[in-house]
Amino acid sequence: MSKALKIVRIHNELLGTYGDQGNADVLAFRAKARNIDAQIVDISFLDVLPTDGDIYLMGGAEDAAQLLSLEALQRDNNLQAALDHGAVLLAICAGFQIIGNSFEASGKKVSGLGLLDVDSASGANIGKKRFVGDTKIKSGVVGCELTGFENHAGYTTLGSGVQPLGVVVVGHGNGDGKYDGAIKGNIFGTYLHGPVLARNPEFADLLLSMAIGEQVSQYDDNLATKYARMRRDAI
Amino acid sequence: MKNLRLTVAEFSARSAGALSRTFLGKSGETISGRVALGLYPNSIKTLAAEKTVLLVSGTNGKTSTTKSLSQIVSSLGKVASNTTGSNLNWGVANALMNRNPFAVLEVDELHLPNVISETNPKAVLLLNLTRDQLHRMHEVKRVADHWRDACTQATDTTFVIDVDDPFLNYATQSAKQVIKVSFGGRRHSDGSVCPSCGKYLNWSGGIYSCGCGLTNKVADRTFPDGSASYRNAILANAAGEIVGAKAIEVDEKALERTITKHVGGSTATIRLTKNPASWTEALRGIDSNNVVLILNARQVDGLDTSWLWDVSYVSLKGKKVIVCGERGMDLSYRLQVEGVANTLVDTFEIAMSQFPSGSEVSVLAAYTAFFALASK
Repeated sequence: MSKALKIVRIHNELLGTYGDQGNADVLAFRAKARNIDAQIVDISFLDVLPTDGDIYLMGGAEDAAQLLSLEALQRDNNLQAALDHGAVLLAICAGFQIIGNSFEASGKKVSGLGLLDVDSASGANIGKKRFVGDTKIKSGVVGCELTGFENHAGYTTLGSGVQPLGVVVVGHGNGDGKYDGAIKGNIFGTYLHGPVLARNPEFADLLLSMAIGEQVSQYDDNLATKYARMRRDAI
Repeated sequence: MKNLRLTVAEFSARSAGALSRTFLGKSGETISGRVALGLYPNSIKTLAAEKTVLLVSGTNGKTSTTKSLSQIVSSLGKVASNTTGSNLNWGVANALMNRNPFAVLEVDELHLPNVISETNPKAVLLLNLTRDQLHRMHEVKRVADHWRDACTQATDTTFVIDVDDPFLNYATQSAKQVIKVSFGGRRHSDGSVCPSCGKYLNWSGGIYSCGCGLTNKVADRTFPDGSASYRNAILANAAGEIVGAKAIEVDEKALERTITKHVGGSTATIRLTKNPASWTEALRGIDSNNVVLILNARQVDGLDTSWLWDVSYVSLKGKKVIVCGERGMDLSYRLQVEGVANTLVDTFEIAMSQFPSGSEVSVLAAYTAFFALASK
């Protein structure tokens, strides 16, 4: 790549409740390990979202923060424009809900960005408990098991235009206990915290490969591999 | 006159506590309180009615600040307290069985609303509210909302708060008596959204002000900024004043929850750390070049370790860092990604053996690891 890989961390001051900012750090770390120059750009609620990013990241949040993030992203069409250029998006938990068709927060139903064909209801409104705990899914697209920690009250149903990120092995995933997350092309949504890319290096490499347009080179990080295995064995 | 049922409940509770101490080697506080509440659900209310009660809650610093406040109030009379940190309903019930005229109690964040309503306290000291044990608390705002309802209803109570924490300001906004203490403002790591109206909260340095009126520009007392221990000492004195106790010089070092252990010829100063705020505070306080970090993820530690990525460890660069604990690998990998060289080992003893005999080692320990070492 001629220019540095630009990793855009969206609204971490709002979408940073569950440590998901670490996804950006892991991507930059694994990129640099391949001699790919990488740069993390933090975009706050007050900033204009750049359209020239390669990877965009969103994290989990409390309700009021989630609504503010949506408000900021609705000011322009920049995220959609970036995705149209081929950028990759990974959105976790509240972020996953924001990029869907609709979700519920602070007791009201709102329209999301509509980037993924999913709809999220608040589990509390349909008699479901909050879903909290270690989670393991089997992901066809990543090609392995993924682990993480879920902590949400969302109940997300997938429309016809998306595939699940994985099949739930342990935990509740999208709330139904069958699937977690959703994917469509270069857009990924999931409920897995951890951060998910720290616990699943294969997933980080998949996103990096998509962003640079070719398979990233082999990189053996013993600790990352051991850590991923430790969590998969433990859950 | 106390009723017979309470007397029987107290007797049974004490017996259970004694058995637990004798045969199980435990503190006996939890079992004793559980028995009392099981036999007489109104125990807390009835026992508290005979005492002047002061409560301490917050995410960090509860146990040490409760000790300081007990010391401050003890100038007025004997004080009952739950000094070992048994801070759920049953720990509170157990402490109240003591006959002393004053009670200074630390209370868990989620149990605070109930304990306020049952004890009708004279003073409640709220230290801070940040992310902790999210598998249990879920969201910071949720805890603040529970507190707010309880504070609003406690019309006999005076609340002492660090107003620089917007969640505390919000929780006590409708309380009848509040003493707002400011330390000149301090950016809150979870404070980007106004807890009162949900708008983006405007911060200028450590000063926040929202269009809805929530701000720390206005305070009843203002002090210079300082460490968490320093702030807690000032807040404890302000709470003591409410019941007429004279302010005392509080030893800040005593307010840091540390223990010292001699391991294999070296000295370990072990500090309790349990969430992003307390880790950040503890990392700031490390002056040694020898560091051991212990991470567990049991219930009280928080089952989810994701928050490790919200702490910056760069101040450890260049130091000799050894990581251990049941979830040491989570932390070791986090450090690697931030460029902090570290060695992952299996146990605390092995970690300490990495330093030459006679070394002074700074140890930061997760909650359960801290207590395991403290009881050795």
